[in-house]
Formats: sequence, C-alpha cells, structure tokens
Amino acid sequence: MKGFPHKISLVLYNVIILFTFLTLVYFGYSYYKLPVEGTLRLEHPLYNLLKPTGFIGHGLGIIGTLFIVFGLFGYMARKRMKIFARVGLLKHWLEWHIFICTLGFIMVLFHTTFKFGGVVSIGLWSLVIVFLSGVIGRFIYIQIPRSIEGRELSVREIQDLKSELDDELYEKYGIRFSEVKTSKFSEIRMKLIAAKVPHKEFRKVRYLIRKENILEKRIERLDMMHKLFNHWHVLHLPFAIIMLIIMVIHVALALYLGYSWILFK
Amino acid sequence: MKIKIFLLTLLLSYLTVISSFAQFSPGQLSKGHANLEGVENCTKCHSVGNKVLRDKCLECHKEIKASIASKKGFHASVEVGTKNCLVCHNEHHGRDFQLIKINKKSFNHTDMGFELKGVHAKKDCRACHKAEFVSDPNFKKKTSTYMGLSSACLNCHSDFHQGKLSANCASCHNFNSFKNPKVVGFDHNKTKFAILGKHKNVSCLKCHKTEIINAKPAQRFKGLQFESCTPCHKDKHENKFGSNCKECHSEESFHAIKNISSFNHDKTGFQLVGKHKTVACKLCHKTESMTDPLKHDKCSSCHADYHKGEFAKKGVSPDCNDCHTNKSFAETNFTIERHSKLKFKLEGAHMATTCMECHRKQKDWKFAKMPVNCVECHKNIHKGFINDKFMPSENCTLCHTVTSWKSVTFDHEKTGFKLEGTHAKQVCASCHFKKNSIGVRVQQFEGISKECSSCHKDNHVGQFAENSKTECLKCHGFTTWKDSKFVHTSSRFKLEGAHRDVKCIECHKQTIDQKGTYIKYKFKSIDCNSCHS
Repeated sequence: MKGFPHKISLVLYNVIILFTFLTLVYFGYSYYKLPVEGTLRLEHPLYNLLKPTGFIGHGLGIIGTLFIVFGLFGYMARKRMKIFARVGLLKHWLEWHIFICTLGFIMVLFHTTFKFGGVVSIGLWSLVIVFLSGVIGRFIYIQIPRSIEGRELSVREIQDLKSELDDELYEKYGIRFSEVKTSKFSEIRMKLIAAKVPHKEFRKVRYLIRKENILEKRIERLDMMHKLFNHWHVLHLPFAIIMLIIMVIHVALALYLGYSWILFK
Repeated sequence: MKIKIFLLTLLLSYLTVISSFAQFSPGQLSKGHANLEGVENCTKCHSVGNKVLRDKCLECHKEIKASIASKKGFHASVEVGTKNCLVCHNEHHGRDFQLIKINKKSFNHTDMGFELKGVHAKKDCRACHKAEFVSDPNFKKKTSTYMGLSSACLNCHSDFHQGKLSANCASCHNFNSFKNPKVVGFDHNKTKFAILGKHKNVSCLKCHKTEIINAKPAQRFKGLQFESCTPCHKDKHENKFGSNCKECHSEESFHAIKNISSFNHDKTGFQLVGKHKTVACKLCHKTESMTDPLKHDKCSSCHADYHKGEFAKKGVSPDCNDCHTNKSFAETNFTIERHSKLKFKLEGAHMATTCMECHRKQKDWKFAKMPVNCVECHKNIHKGFINDKFMPSENCTLCHTVTSWKSVTFDHEKTGFKLEGTHAKQVCASCHFKKNSIGVRVQQFEGISKECSSCHKDNHVGQFAENSKTECLKCHGFTTWKDSKFVHTSSRFKLEGAHRDVKCIECHKQTIDQKGTYIKYKFKSIDCNSCHS
C-alpha cells in the first residue's frame, strides 16, 4: 500500500476512531455522565443496554478486547516472527496497531462505563498507560529515522542520507549546509540570487535545508532517542502485559460466572 | 534487556494481582452485603456459569423464601412473581447504595396485608418500618429491611388507654386522627349509661377526659359520675329547679322542655302572677326554644306602651307597673294621693269622679297635658248671664268650690244687695233661676231690682203703697214676714185700753173684694162705729 491508498487508510483509521468515539458519546452521554454509585444509572432507560454486562456494554468490552488482542499480537507477530517479516510494511503495521488498539481502548473504556474500581480497573489503567505511552512512543518512534520498511537506520546510514542531501544542495545550488544552517533564509536568498538560481527553485532549496536540518538534529538526538525508546519499551510493554493478564483474569472470571454476552448460549 | 523487561513485567503483575486480589469485584457491595466482599465470596451470590440466580439469594434470605412459600408479603405478590432478585436489588453500586428502593407511588401496600389509610398513607415508610417497631427478632437487627412488622396497632402506637380498651385501635379510631374516634362494635348502651339523644354526637373525650393515670395521660373510663347530669353539665339554673335536669330536659336538647304543664314558673326569675298565669307560654316565649332567654325585668320588655310615651320624662317612659298591676291593665294603683301630688289635685267632688270622666273623654285615654281650668272640662252655664266683673276669666272658683256646684261662696254684698236673714239662707236659684213664661227655668243675674216687690208678691194689695210704691221694710225685717217692726201707736188709731187685748184679726179681718182676698189694714175711717155697731 503506497501513496494515495495509504493516505486513505490513515484517514479512514481516524474517521473510524472519531466516529466510534462520537457515536458512543452521543448515544450514551446521558447515561455515562451519571455518578457511578447510587441509583441514578439504574433508573436510566439505557442502563440495561450500556451497563458492563448489558448488550452494548458487554459487546463493547468483548469486541474492544478482541481488537486490542488482535492489534497487539498481530503487530508483535509481524515485528518478531520471521514468517510475517515480509507481510506488509512494518510502518503500516504500526499504524494499524495504533488504530486498532486505540479503537479497542475506546470500546473497552465505554465498556467500563467509566467505573474505575477493583482489579479490573488496574487493567484499565494499565491500558490507559499503554495507550498514552503508545502516543509518546509514536513521537519517539518518528524521531528515529527508518528505512522505507520501517527498519531503524544506523547512524552511518543517516549520515549518508544527510550527505546525499548536502551534495544535492551543493551540486544544484552551490550551497553548503554547514554554511547556511545558522543563516536566515533571507541571507540564503541573496546567495541564490547571486548564483542566478531561478526563483522557482527557492522553495526546493528551502525544503532541502529544512530536511537536512531535521536530519542533523535527529542525528544529534539519536542516541538519546534510542535510550528513550528502550525505556519506553520497558513502560509500554510491561503495562500491556499487565493489562493482558488482568484482562484474561477478568474475562475468565466473567465467563466462569456466566457473563458470556451473546456467546455460548 | 529482554530479561529485564520480563522480570519487571512479572513483578508488576504479581504485585498488582496480589494487592488487589480482594477487590476483584466490579464495585463495592452495599452495606447489607458488605460481609460478602472478597473474591472468595463471589460464588456465594454468583452461580458458576449462570450469573446470579434467585435461588442463590433465597438460600441466605430465608425469611423471604418463607414469605414466598407461605404466599404472604410483597415477594409473594404477582408484581414480583418469579423475577430475578437483581431486577430490584442490584449490587456492586457502592457501600451506600440502597438495595431496597420502593416506588412509593406505585407500591401496593395492601398486598402486604396492611392497607395504608389516612395518615398512614402520608407517612414516610421508615416512620413505621424501623427497628423500634420490628417485633420479629430475626428482623430486629436488619436496619434496612421492611419486613418483620406486625400489623397490630399497638406494635407502633402506645396504648393510650392503658389496656382498658381493645388492642385494635381501628375498632374505635379511624386512620386520619386519633381524635374524634368513631366507636365501632362497642355498644355504650350496654353500659350503665346509655347514650341517648345528643350524647350520641358528643366526642368521647368530652366525658371521658384525659387525666394523669399511672403517671401517664390517659382517658378515664371508670369511676365517672353519671347518675345526674350536673357532674358533666353546669347547672345554669344554679339549683333553682333542683338537681334533676331530666324533670324538664331530655337528652335530645337542653332547649326542648318536657312536662311543661307541671313546670313551676315561679322558680324562674319571673313569677307568674295575676293575668300572667292565664297567658299561653308561647305568647311570651315566642322563639322556637322555650329556654331562649327573655328580658323580663320590665313590663315593656313584652308589652307595648299603650300610652305611646305620654309619661316619658327625658325620653324614658316609666314602666307599666308604676301605675298598673299584674291583675289587669284596666286597674291602676295610681292613687288619689299620687294624683294630689300633681299640678291638679283631686279634691271634693273630683275625688268621687272616675278616671275616665276626665282622661277618656274620647276613644283613647289621655293623661299628658291635661287642662286645669274648670271651664276646660265643665261647661260655663253662666256665660252671658253673669257680669264679667263677678266672674273674671270664667273662673268658677270665685263662686263655686270643688265640693259641689251648689256650694257657692260668693259674697253677695259685692252686688250692693247684702243677703241678710232669710235671704242668706236661700239657695241662689231661689232668686236667680225662675221659670219663664213657657215654664222653662232660666237664670237671671243681671237686671234684678233690689226692690222687695221685684221678688216678693205684695200680700197687702197695695194698702201700704205710697206713691205706688210699697216699702216692705217699714214693717218687715229679713228674718221672717211675721216679724214686724210696725208700732200701732204710730198709726192714726192708737191702741189703748181694751183694744190692747183684742186680737189683730178682730179688727183686721180677711176681706174679699175686687182686689182679691186680703187682710184689711187700712180703713177709711177710724171711728168706733166703723167697727163697733
């Protein structure tokens, strides 16, 4: 999946997440806003539908859980198992992982009906941490330059990439990045005018300088980002595992006590 | 690195699960089920693979199971039927969650075996359903239950009557108020005091008053004095008629009087005397009730003033009994003595005159502004006959007195003709009233000559007339005609000798001639032979 279809899929991901969230808010706001304790929720007409064991509430929990499980293990499988190594780009898998887990998180969140208590809530809070850390991880992730497959580039590869840019800048426009990186673009513009570079190319020059600038900063931060990313894994993964363990216990207990939604009837 | 992650994960998982093992439920249980908190207790309520079953609840809640089995109480009602307990008693909603929530508007309390009537229907459930009133020890400690309450009144209400009346308050009281109870099933007439007439409408409390009995306020039912009316009713007559009210009154009303014919009115403040004895009761007691108070201190309270205020002084009329008695209005006790104190005193003949002669000259009696002058009542018969100088202002009293018209006190000398001798003894009419030519008596006071001949007849047929006028007084006085002042010696013929012893008639003999019959005193000749032959 490249170019436009990829962009479409990204838009679709966001649209689905937003639509799901807004639909649930719109449909259940009058119920979810009520205090979790007391009788008000019980008296609400949507109680039997939206309660955690209700048709919708329970369904959200089960489907959301399946989404998270599928998103997590799917991504992990693609990332760690050699047989899936060639199935799609890792970058796209990550995007899909983020999408499906976020969707699952939202559904599980509404399954809880925002009632955070007991060990199940620890599972939920773990899920929240996993979700938030995922957001942070995504930020760190993009700070580490990668190959088109999503593989991390080594420092050398990045520096080569930077050199390629620098060469392109010099060959085409006679500018060295080292000369202009601290200059204002107005000064660069003067140089370009002196070198009789057409105005149309100015934008391209500016893009190349910015790209190289980013690349240079990423090289500078690469070590730190690598460390951060390692630490992030320590945060993201264990909480994901905690969440999974509790989820398993929760699901097992629910099934044990006969709360099987529409399944096993 | 991977080992580190794995260890950290394991540690965190372990800590998490262990620390929160006891809180595996989706929320805290309510107070009533707080003892079931903890993962080891889940299956005490939850059935494996079958959620929460009704039977599981009833395993613990045996009292409800028994209630359902005996088909009594709310849980045996059609409304509940075979519903899962969770439909009404949902859990895991927090410690303070009220497991029992009753819709007061739709809850049918009657099905519980106790219909909520009157004040009961307005009370909060917990006003009755509280441990204080729960008699069943199984429920006593269950603060949230609505069960275990007996429907007996005294279960909640204290026995105001201290066990002296039925324990079923509803047999007398209604459900709106303990006041004004309506006794049902109790026949007061079987007691020594039958409830008759107006007593039927009297509140029990009016007679059975609240007193302090056994250091508590309670109604008294025993030891009430009811043989006579006065222990309860105030004797308005202050014992004037004795203590037995029933002689005149009945239970129907104090205003309805019985035995009226034997009623002694004299015991009231108004004694019936005289004519009042014969008057019908209703003539005075005009209102519906004989006992309505009547003003009776004055006659005018009942009687209209016949005299129309004639006797009023400064606008206030004296009462009738000032002049009249109870016997009759025709009679009066206004004495002559009282009349004599008035401007017109009753004297003489007026004393013998009946009142109406003066005061009822026309149809109605008249007393005020009565005249005092004689002529205003009496006709002046002398008007035009007696000169005004003798009767100025037609004042009768100058001649007459009140004793009699005949009794005249006039000084006749004023007329220039003094009444002497026999004249003074004559009634006025002898001289002043004479029959006229047609035989009618007419009076004459004016124009009467003082000459004797104007009244008296000259029996001497003018023998002594001098110049055609006879002067009687030459011989006669006023005492009697027989008395004569005549002295024979002064005549031509002096009586001497034997003549002195001769009777007058021997010489002056009765003569009858053309002048009439008379005694002849004057002779033409005084010669002897004129008498002696």
